[in-house]
Amino acid sequence: MTDIGGLKARILHWAEVVAPSGSEGQVREALLGAIRAAADTVRVDALGNAIATKAGEGKHVVLVAHADEPGVMAIHADEQGFLRLIAIGDVPAEALVGRMVQFTNGVTGVVGVESRVKPQDVGFEHLFVDVGAASQAEAQRLVPLGTAGVVQSPVVEMGPHRLAGRALDNRAGCAVAAEAFLRLAAMGRKVSVVFTAQQAVGSRGAGTAAYQLEPDLAIVVDAAPAGDMPEAPRMALRLGQGPALKVMDGTAVVPLDVKHHLEESARRAGVEIQYEVWPRGQSDAGAVQLSQAGVKVGGVSYPARRSGMMQVIDLRDLDAAVRWVVAAAASW
Amino acid sequence: MLLKRLTEAMGPSGFEDEIRGVLREEVEGCVDRVYTDVLGNLICEKGVHQPGPRVMLDAHMDEVGLMITHAEENGLLRFRPLGGVDPRVLVSKPVRIGEDKRFGVIGAKPIHLQKAEERRKPLPLESLYIDIGARDRDDALAHVRLGDVAVFATRYEEIGVRCAKAKSFDDRAGCAVLVEALRETHPIPVYGVFTVQEEIGLRGAMAAAYRIQPDIAIALEGTVCFDVARAPGHGQGTVLGRGPAFTLQDGRTLADRRFLEFLVHVAERHDIPYQFRRVKGGSNDFGAIHRTRAGVVGGSISIPVRYIHAPAQVMSLEDYENTVRLVRAVLAELAKGGFQA
Repeated sequence: MTDIGGLKARILHWAEVVAPSGSEGQVREALLGAIRAAADTVRVDALGNAIATKAGEGKHVVLVAHADEPGVMAIHADEQGFLRLIAIGDVPAEALVGRMVQFTNGVTGVVGVESRVKPQDVGFEHLFVDVGAASQAEAQRLVPLGTAGVVQSPVVEMGPHRLAGRALDNRAGCAVAAEAFLRLAAMGRKVSVVFTAQQAVGSRGAGTAAYQLEPDLAIVVDAAPAGDMPEAPRMALRLGQGPALKVMDGTAVVPLDVKHHLEESARRAGVEIQYEVWPRGQSDAGAVQLSQAGVKVGGVSYPARRSGMMQVIDLRDLDAAVRWVVAAAASW
Repeated sequence: MLLKRLTEAMGPSGFEDEIRGVLREEVEGCVDRVYTDVLGNLICEKGVHQPGPRVMLDAHMDEVGLMITHAEENGLLRFRPLGGVDPRVLVSKPVRIGEDKRFGVIGAKPIHLQKAEERRKPLPLESLYIDIGARDRDDALAHVRLGDVAVFATRYEEIGVRCAKAKSFDDRAGCAVLVEALRETHPIPVYGVFTVQEEIGLRGAMAAAYRIQPDIAIALEGTVCFDVARAPGHGQGTVLGRGPAFTLQDGRTLADRRFLEFLVHVAERHDIPYQFRRVKGGSNDFGAIHRTRAGVVGGSISIPVRYIHAPAQVMSLEDYENTVRLVRAVLAELAKGGFQA
């Protein structure tokens, strides 16, 4: 069953939501809205993970997709009303210069940089945000200290299959996990989906979520970098050539039995796959694997071209990922 | 005097025996049960069979220190830092080594003998040593064993206008706040934990939180304060005298928005000054606690400390007193059901 249109509609909607790590509230509501009717229980835990479970037949498979994105946080307002920022997760300071930031409360501002700093030396301490405030008090009223934000950028459709935008990593993965959850629930399988919090700051949510769920198998759905651009860092994944089987990343090596099961499931589902070997990659897989007494973990990734804070993805990779995840989960 | 007693006690990470003994004496009789766990955390239970949320109050009792690693033939001792110590603060400082607190001084080449170039560069750790007045290696090793630890030989003293200096306000100030909280009666279950090994990776707090399984946890800390000449507003961390500080984001934690708002609400309602910790670097025990088991709600309350991790740290006694008041108010509001996760 192919449903590229349904996936696209969800991704276009979800990727517009501002949800830097630790401030996932808005996207959490949107994500749970798509699956609530099919779930037996839905909850949000201490760290902000959104968790839905459907009782049913078979082993307990948990689908894991992080809901958060890297961003910035207002940490100080000076006497002239300019805000100062710190990073949430891995955000290069120079990528923010001249961009608009949008805070979770809807306020937007322009990021400037102190003029004496050379471009290669720009750090967060040199950046400031103009939110139109004329004083410290006004700036703090508009953007209370601790408010998080992201680089503002719309999601753009590029041709029939591709999308470009800011938070496609990992709202696209959330769409895959949500759709797979709905199909598995409809099949009567025992299944959970976790939209994890705080992945971009070191997979803090994934471990506590897995602790609660005791999965028989966890499948992490996340972006992996494509290497098919001019002079790109070496990476074998190509956009539009199918979802990728995570062999290893910087957090986990996928156990061989899970790897073989995923290969076999892809073959049965008629899905062409690629192989992800990403030695420095960050994902929720490691935190899940080392939770409790150890958890069987696998990873289904979609290639994403990355450029600054933007990503480009191919919907055909995502559609195939849904079919693959469903086949793998239903036969574990 | 509590702050004097706690800050002058010895307790580098992994060697918390002395400070643990002092803390045990301070809380005995005020709590229902006090015991240590496998890692050496001192856990104090107070009213834990009462209804209400199980609150874990955390303060780490360890401090940064130096470990003796080698004795030279001439009797001088080589060392490595235990926790984050800036080698530039070490030269010429007096230290106390081991259980018998043997005096030593961190020596370096006198200015008379330095070349112009040497005077411009800070001395790296490799060229520093501790002098205990030993004749030779055998003499040195008769008094000090390899693996012994040293701390700065700083006495507690009140200075200036309602300030104090000491060696280990990070985190004996937090320990003192916790002792004061444990001396009062609360209508909810309180677990006071004096943790070990915070300075080398939040190790004690992880095990303590795993055991206690709190509903709410609060780390009480001494935190960075750099409100000095020429520091821009967004580089200060905290400001001395402006009250206890709440973390927005540090190296290991993103603030739980609901609990942060609760802390702000309690401070405002009780007319207690507060500020935000406006830097990302550093971390505290809550970074480990909130990731244990299924996750823990809470946050941290920090007292600004100038020259943290250095021989003479400076703290405002008003900030300290306001932190004691705030913790009391937070516990009272929690008991009233003022925070719902």
